Amino acid sequence: MQGKVGVFVSIGIVMAEQVKKEQAVSGVPMVTATIDGREVTVPKGTTVLEAAREMGIHIPTFCWHPKLKSVGACRMCYVEIERMPKLQVSCATEVMEGMVIQTASEQVLQGRKAVIEFILLNHPLDCPTCDKGGECDLQNHTFAHAVDDSRYSFKKARYTDGTDGTTFDDKRLGPEIVLNRNRCILCYKCVRANKEAFGEYDLGVYERGNIAEINSAPGHEVDNPFSGNLVEICPVGALTNSDWRYKIRVWLTQTTSSICNMTSSGSNILFYKEKNHNKIYRVTSRMNDSIDDGWLPDVSRYGYQIATTEERLKTPLIKKDGKQVEATWDEAMTVIHNRFTEIAEKKGKVCLGGLASPYLDNDSLHSFNKLFRTVFKSNNIDFRSDYRMLPEGADSPYEMLVDQPFTIADIDDSDLIISFGSDLIREHPNEYLRMRKAYNFKRAKVVSINPYAVKSADIAELEVIHSIGRAETVLNGICLAAMEMGLVNNQDLTGKIAPATTAEAASDAGVTEDDLKEVARAISSAKKISFICGEMVSRSIARDTIASALWNLYLLFGFKDKGQMAILPRYANSRGAGSLGLLPSPSDGLRNTLSGLWGCFPESDPNNTDAMLALMRKEEISGFFIIGANPLMLYPDRQFVTDGLERLDFLVACDLFETDTTELADVVLPLSSWAEYDGDYVNLEGKVQHARQAIKPLYQSKPAYEIITMVAEKFGAPLFESIEACRKEVDELLSMTHSTKFPSQFLEVKPCYEDAEEEYPTPLLICDDPHHCGHRTEKSQSLSNFVSEAYIEMSPEKAEKLAVKDGESVRVESPVGKIVVPVRISDCIDNNVVLIPRNFASTQVTSLLMRKRRLDRVKITKVDE
Amino acid sequence: MFYSPVRTNASEAEKNEKLHLFKYVEDPQQKNVETFESRNGYSAWKKVLSSMSAEQVIEEVKSSGLRGRGGAGFPTGLKWSFVPKDSPKARYLCCNADESEPGTCKDRVIMERDPHAIIEGMAIASYAIGCHLMFIYIRGEFGECIRSMERAAQEARDRGHLGKNIYGSGYDLDIIVHSGGGAYICGEERALLNSLEGERGMSRIRPPFPAIEGLYACPTIVNNVESLATVPHIINRGASWYSSMGTEKSSGTKVFSLSGHVNNPGNYEVELGFSLKKLIFDPAYGGGMKDGKQLKGVIPGGASTPFLTPDMIDVNLDYESLASVGSMLGSGAVIVFNEDTCIVWTILKLIHFFRHESCGKCTPCREGTGWLEQVVRRIEMGQGEQGDIEKIEDVCGNIFGRTICPLGDAAVMPIQSAIKHWRDEWQYHIDHGSCKVKSEFSFQ
Ligand SMILES: Cc1cc2nc3c(=O)[nH]c(=O)nc-3n(C[C@H](O)[C@H](O)[C@H](O)COP(=O)(O)O)c2cc1C
Ligand code: SF4
Ligand code: SF4
Ligand code: FES
Repeated sequence: MQGKVGVFVSIGIVMAEQVKKEQAVSGVPMVTATIDGREVTVPKGTTVLEAAREMGIHIPTFCWHPKLKSVGACRMCYVEIERMPKLQVSCATEVMEGMVIQTASEQVLQGRKAVIEFILLNHPLDCPTCDKGGECDLQNHTFAHAVDDSRYSFKKARYTDGTDGTTFDDKRLGPEIVLNRNRCILCYKCVRANKEAFGEYDLGVYERGNIAEINSAPGHEVDNPFSGNLVEICPVGALTNSDWRYKIRVWLTQTTSSICNMTSSGSNILFYKEKNHNKIYRVTSRMNDSIDDGWLPDVSRYGYQIATTEERLKTPLIKKDGKQVEATWDEAMTVIHNRFTEIAEKKGKVCLGGLASPYLDNDSLHSFNKLFRTVFKSNNIDFRSDYRMLPEGADSPYEMLVDQPFTIADIDDSDLIISFGSDLIREHPNEYLRMRKAYNFKRAKVVSINPYAVKSADIAELEVIHSIGRAETVLNGICLAAMEMGLVNNQDLTGKIAPATTAEAASDAGVTEDDLKEVARAISSAKKISFICGEMVSRSIARDTIASALWNLYLLFGFKDKGQMAILPRYANSRGAGSLGLLPSPSDGLRNTLSGLWGCFPESDPNNTDAMLALMRKEEISGFFIIGANPLMLYPDRQFVTDGLERLDFLVACDLFETDTTELADVVLPLSSWAEYDGDYVNLEGKVQHARQAIKPLYQSKPAYEIITMVAEKFGAPLFESIEACRKEVDELLSMTHSTKFPSQFLEVKPCYEDAEEEYPTPLLICDDPHHCGHRTEKSQSLSNFVSEAYIEMSPEKAEKLAVKDGESVRVESPVGKIVVPVRISDCIDNNVVLIPRNFASTQVTSLLMRKRRLDRVKITKVDE
Repeated sequence: MFYSPVRTNASEAEKNEKLHLFKYVEDPQQKNVETFESRNGYSAWKKVLSSMSAEQVIEEVKSSGLRGRGGAGFPTGLKWSFVPKDSPKARYLCCNADESEPGTCKDRVIMERDPHAIIEGMAIASYAIGCHLMFIYIRGEFGECIRSMERAAQEARDRGHLGKNIYGSGYDLDIIVHSGGGAYICGEERALLNSLEGERGMSRIRPPFPAIEGLYACPTIVNNVESLATVPHIINRGASWYSSMGTEKSSGTKVFSLSGHVNNPGNYEVELGFSLKKLIFDPAYGGGMKDGKQLKGVIPGGASTPFLTPDMIDVNLDYESLASVGSMLGSGAVIVFNEDTCIVWTILKLIHFFRHESCGKCTPCREGTGWLEQVVRRIEMGQGEQGDIEKIEDVCGNIFGRTICPLGDAAVMPIQSAIKHWRDEWQYHIDHGSCKVKSEFSFQ
């Protein structure tokens, strides 16, 4: 026996030696073991379970999750390992050199059966009425192990305090989630994921032993922005959500692979539709390790309901006598053609403009671009409807930083992750989870540099909260600190930036010198950095100043060789829109390729969103085509937008449902959602992903691409012979060798501060609610179950000063507007700012904003009832 | 019915020569730092700081043969040597003072009456592993112990035994006295660390072992109160003095908490290898069975160790001897049962305890203990069914060796041995719906 094992082991060792040599380059030692008689060589640290999976050997599990630390709780994954008398849990046992493992021996099967027997003791076995039936791990493993009887002869323990005293202990844990403790098998995956992966503490374990139970934290609801995942990872029907509960059995559904349309990372998702009906029932993750790790933020999970809402626009509408009335597509097209032609003839063609949504797919965006440039001969085109006063030209420091390469998975092994000017959870939830992962598994150092205490900073080793509107000064300060401490040799920066010393920069920015030094030290000693910049840079009119300061940092510390730095785009296809040249003046390269493809490119003045709105007010743009965008709700200074749009002679607006913007339109066209047609999207990394059509277009809606090509045809100028021809052009554009540019020398950064007015003392930041994104998600029932109206988020101290309690209303006034919103008191924000989400049409928050201001400041007063 | 907390009944000579743990516990002054110092207290700590390297301390404790007194009996010096020398992380020492094993009540006495001995031992252990902040995790119900340790900690700081640059050696050390989370499982070292971190008191899988990744993911040593209180004496009197006591593999002395149907229940410090029979029957110790009743069985090492029957009590109290008769030394809680004890009732009490104390993390322990309690209760209530004994044995088999922490094993070992030794009594319960012995206690 001993000899035999010895032989096995030595063969293993010889093989492993070989592999070890190969692997020596990458530095991971390899180990070889035998699983069920087959040899396997894996990197050291791999668990037996993972190794077996790689070989296609399935070991059943309940508590294991590929993205969480193993806890070995359920004991389902037993294996037998030679020379170990007891059964071992494979999920928590690392493969060791020479191990001989059995995954299906008699002892193993006995052990697993015993575990199933234990779990089933008090399990209700109400599979026929349980939503998990058909996709339940417990059901599957029970059948697989032929456990069909119970030796337990006592009355099953029951929780009956949920609703009506029946065994349906349906306890509402939060806006979406319902818990049935009777079904819970206490695998603790939900609580672990919540804490470990999401950093949330609204769910916990209470009591002990066999009366231990999962429950929401006392006085809290489970309403964190990742809570939908808990339902997905629950192996049984203990956690369900109102989205899917009791609506359909899973075996009656079909899945379609798609891409999330809510975030810019493009999480991979599955749509579930009923086989014979044109209806989507839910969305789950489709684990893609390079993008989402299998976690979906709630916006991505429940966002699909913007497609299924009853509020969808059902037919085209044409304004007649000041009222929008239903019309046919033909009628709508005729009106569009006639009116645009009329305007063009009267004023010349450049008086037409267009605005597309960055949620649209490549085909739609590209055809929109072609329609404008080749049919309307206009450079009045943009896809950015929420950033005020964007610079012209593709080579601004800001644009160059937006264009930088960024790889989500590279966050995993970064030893330093900096989030700058970004409330990550609200803007880039997937990247936030990656950051947590790097922190959990690799002890990465996290640094947060923001004008307020963002929630994602809870894991930050260093949190630098600077005075609002001083972002560039903080960056300058970090550069100065590095130079003063001799961490960098390059001194060319001296004189280009102000102030001139770390001390001054610190005091200007409202931070300590130590903080700046600490960040400088962290950057200079890090081996691999991920530097994430977000919306607070993009939204600021000082974006080019801030970007210049970022570039200086980049050059000074040599980021090129040790990491990635980018201003991350915000929407599902922002990156695609940029790459396809949907900008008033695309880069020279793009422009050349486009005119090569089309044989022409207009010479007219390029005008971006702001410029176009200004031209509308001057009546120099009189016809406008909006597809999917909602500038009225998103562009800073609502009055400016309203004035512009109202002065138009003719406005076409397409969207999924009525919006503030469509209300002003002369023709409204019903747009199909991304679930209703095939489309490609470019995520923030530049990766092109395909979203498959899950259902046919609902009502009379049409995909943007079809609408645009119809318009072109109406003008007698068909854009493409077929959609394939369009895709060929898109491919050509996207495969253009993308030379990312960066400045060759340090840039001048002179801070541009804006003084506060006494009358409006409080800086206001506009953000997305963590459960929403942009203007569409308030139409999702599930998402609005979490949050359905705007609020003003402020610190407890601020609320106390205003003498308002949580939920009470305040009047918020700026020099240009005033709104009334309820107060939400939050510990995650400090005194110097207040936040209002922009996702709720009724609040008209953009009416407070001024487009030429760096900071929005407001006066807040209590509303006396 | 309660134990008398301290009873050594040893001769003066014996006290001076050997007994060290309980030598002064009867003196109410011992808890004051002045008294403690006047009796050579903190001299070992001074000696260590002034003249010994960490390696030397570890070596000394290793060669003394001291084994952990918390239950598992792991060699203390060896455990300390597992702390990585080159780790850049902080290291921690946690004194396990969660004493909640039924029958065990020795640590409590030391904490209440000789707290500085623990602090001195903890300090030396901290030095040995390079720790600068040590914790003592005290069972939450032990109010007096917590107050006593807090008071002693402050005294030690005030007298310069703890703090910055202790005795001018440049070594910094402080202590945190932590009131426990109120569960038996929090005495299990990994659950203790979770609890100390503010998490739920639940065990963790190994590896990583606490010595590599323990408290706050830093190298951590967990030691029992008694183990640590022994250390200063080893340093003062030398490893060979300590190893000269006890047996070859179980050196030194140990406090046994004797309880149950004996005349003189109490804590007795004796050399390891002491006769169990003598502990129970010698007038200087247990003084024999209460009311002249016959002995029925003994649990020698706390509620989680297998029973011994009267014919097995001619055994010595040391790690090897008890193992050779199929039981364990455990935490040294000797519980004696007389002939009137119903074994089913006793087991029901025990399994009720373990069911209640299971942390609920792993399936076999969480579900199995609950099931066992129900079956045992049914038998005790006279409603047992044929086949129940086999069912219990089978369920025990599905728990034993299949859990994360030893609580699962602890829960089933007494049951397995009780069935092995007194199967007929179990069967009688089932057959007749009543008890074979004239039980004092009953649920009926
Ligand atoms: C369920 C359970 C409870 C325990 N309770 C205690 C306890 O109360 N006190 C203690 O010192 N050790 C207890 N232990 C043992 C500890 O896990 C650990 O082995 C011990 O503290 C190590 O110290 P030592 O090496 O000095 O014995 C317990 C173990 C288990 C499994
Ligand atoms: S609710 Fe579901 S995921 Fe959470 S512990 Fe219970 S079975 Fe596991
Ligand atoms: S054996 Fe019991 S106490 Fe120990 S981890 Fe498992 S459930 Fe918890
Ligand atoms: S999957 Fe391994 S113990 Fe649960």
